[in-house]
Amino acid sequence: MNSREIVLAHLEGRPIDRLPLMPITMMFACDHIQARYREYCTNYRVLAEGQIRTAETFGFDYVNTMSDPAREAADCGATVQYFDQQPAALVEDQALLVDKTKLVALKIPDPLGGGRMHNAIKAVALLKERVGKEKIVEGWVEGPIAEAADLRGINAVMTDFFDDPLFVRDLFAFVIEMELRFAREQVDAGADVIGVGDAAASLVGPRLYDEFVWPYEKKLVDGIQGLGAKVRLHICGNTRFSLRSMGKLGCEIVDLDSWAPIAEARQQMDANQVLLGNLNPVAVLRNGTPSTVTGSIAECHRQAGPRFIVGAGCEVPRDTPVDNLRALCAYAYSHRP
Amino acid sequence: MPGVAIVDLSQHTAMLDLKRLHDAVVTGDANTSRTLTQEALTAGTDPLQLVNQCLVPAMDEVGRRFESNEYFVPELLISARAMKAALELIRPLLTARGDKPLGRVAIGTVRGDLHDIGKNLVASLLEGGGFEVIDLGVNVSPETFIATVKEKEATIIAMSALLTTTMPAMRTTIEALKQAGVRDKVKVLIGGAPITQKYAEEIGADGYSENAVGAVALAKKAATAAR
Ligand code: B12
Repeated sequence: MNSREIVLAHLEGRPIDRLPLMPITMMFACDHIQARYREYCTNYRVLAEGQIRTAETFGFDYVNTMSDPAREAADCGATVQYFDQQPAALVEDQALLVDKTKLVALKIPDPLGGGRMHNAIKAVALLKERVGKEKIVEGWVEGPIAEAADLRGINAVMTDFFDDPLFVRDLFAFVIEMELRFAREQVDAGADVIGVGDAAASLVGPRLYDEFVWPYEKKLVDGIQGLGAKVRLHICGNTRFSLRSMGKLGCEIVDLDSWAPIAEARQQMDANQVLLGNLNPVAVLRNGTPSTVTGSIAECHRQAGPRFIVGAGCEVPRDTPVDNLRALCAYAYSHRP
Repeated sequence: MPGVAIVDLSQHTAMLDLKRLHDAVVTGDANTSRTLTQEALTAGTDPLQLVNQCLVPAMDEVGRRFESNEYFVPELLISARAMKAALELIRPLLTARGDKPLGRVAIGTVRGDLHDIGKNLVASLLEGGGFEVIDLGVNVSPETFIATVKEKEATIIAMSALLTTTMPAMRTTIEALKQAGVRDKVKVLIGGAPITQKYAEEIGADGYSENAVGAVALAKKAATAAR
């Protein structure tokens, strides 16, 4: 079986002879080909090159198009700041929806309109063309609260939950419609899996998560699956208090950050739920040694059980020692689920 | 109870209102917080007493709920806002009667780093704790910190960093303060998720705290030491 077949078989519950390996790399992949991060974010050829070479060097089973959270918001017209060696970022005090009333007039941008989403779609197509037979091609969309934060400003969204819940729901509905259009084009371009990144969801706590965020994440997940793709959910940060709900989204892969204990996720989610993660990207992967990496990922595996994919809690940090990353990869190649 | 034959009713009402103000801050109700503060001030309550006996304990309680996972970031932010609503009415009175702030803090997220939720909370709580706060925002260069010390006479610098890759900017900033000859004019406090006490000592910062409530205690200690 090649990489792609291994991942698909695992997700479908068929037997495989080693663990799948799907760590997130962005800045690390860019540094690996000695490109400028500005280019990685804005030129799909650079991104594809970085992903393919990194995946091939380390034996990852997939390639991915994530670079920064600002693609959709940029196409909506938000002010985005680009840096030579950092991810593109939204300028929060000039957020598109500083004035909430502007939401009514906000149009969903055409994902194929030549903007940053289009660039990501071209990346999917190029990745599909170059390695799509051997590796899983993973596209990416932002989740409801992450994207809402990009459009409205994260500090503002947090208080909107209390001040104007209707606005939050309208904004989330807008986001889901936009993300589903973006996802559709990525699937058409060849994405097998769509990652849903909903970073800020870890900040709101279980009550607001269940009441506001979950229903829209669910719509997004159902919608993507309806397009024929599989879903990898990734929420940065501490999701410990929302694990049970996250398990009910029905994602093919729940990718956990290092703050969420895998044992608890296993306990609270379906026994068949594939979990991915989640060794501490900084303390262990970047600052540890090959042997602490091996020990830590073995413990993740033990807690997760056989429905498991090897990865770090979040993005592999740039300047992670190569030997540490190799140790992570070696674990996947030397262990059965 | 012997000796307490007469209950001072006005005192009692004032106490009740303080309790209500405390609760308004804890539950993040800015409107009620503003109204009750106005009423208390009109009734002659000492503004400093409002801060010390009401706002500060309320934010301590908010911090406690955050630590014990009853509160999350949205609740922290609305409580901070409710506290600020009260402070806006109180601060001019303190200034007018010549009460000096405990110190002037220049706060910012370091160069290359755009995370500001934690920094904003720390800034709010420092204000609540009696400091004058100059918020320099995110992605703040060492030069900007230095200029704030020189031109605005900040006595405390508070730096926040959330990325391992931007932590070194704290060291750079401290070095730059030395170079500019102003290091001994200020206390330097640092914080943010990846920061540790050990790191603070390594780079020669004057203090570290893992949360915003601790940041105020730290700043108070620094302010006392500076005097
Ligand atoms: C929200 C968030 C974002 C938002 C930030 C929006 C904003 N306006 O702040 C966005 C989406 C923009 C973002 C971007 C990125 N992020 Co981010 N983000 C987070 C997240 C989910 C929450 C951070 C937060 O606000 N916490 C809540 C506050 C209240 O906590 P706090 O900041 O720690 O503050 C408390 C204490 O630390 C302390 N404190 C804070 N400052 C100070 C200062 C002083 C003086 C003192 C005494 C105390 C103190 O008091 C505060 C209150 O108690 C974290 C994960 C997490 N849960 O921590 C990742 C995280 C911080 N991000 C991370 C990364 C990698 C990134 C990106 C590089 C990702 C990317 N590739 O795009 C970019 C970098 C952008 C940049 N150049 O800064 C990593 C950092 C890893 C590392 N250690 O290096 C984290 C940990 C996620 C992860 N698991 O990998 N992110």
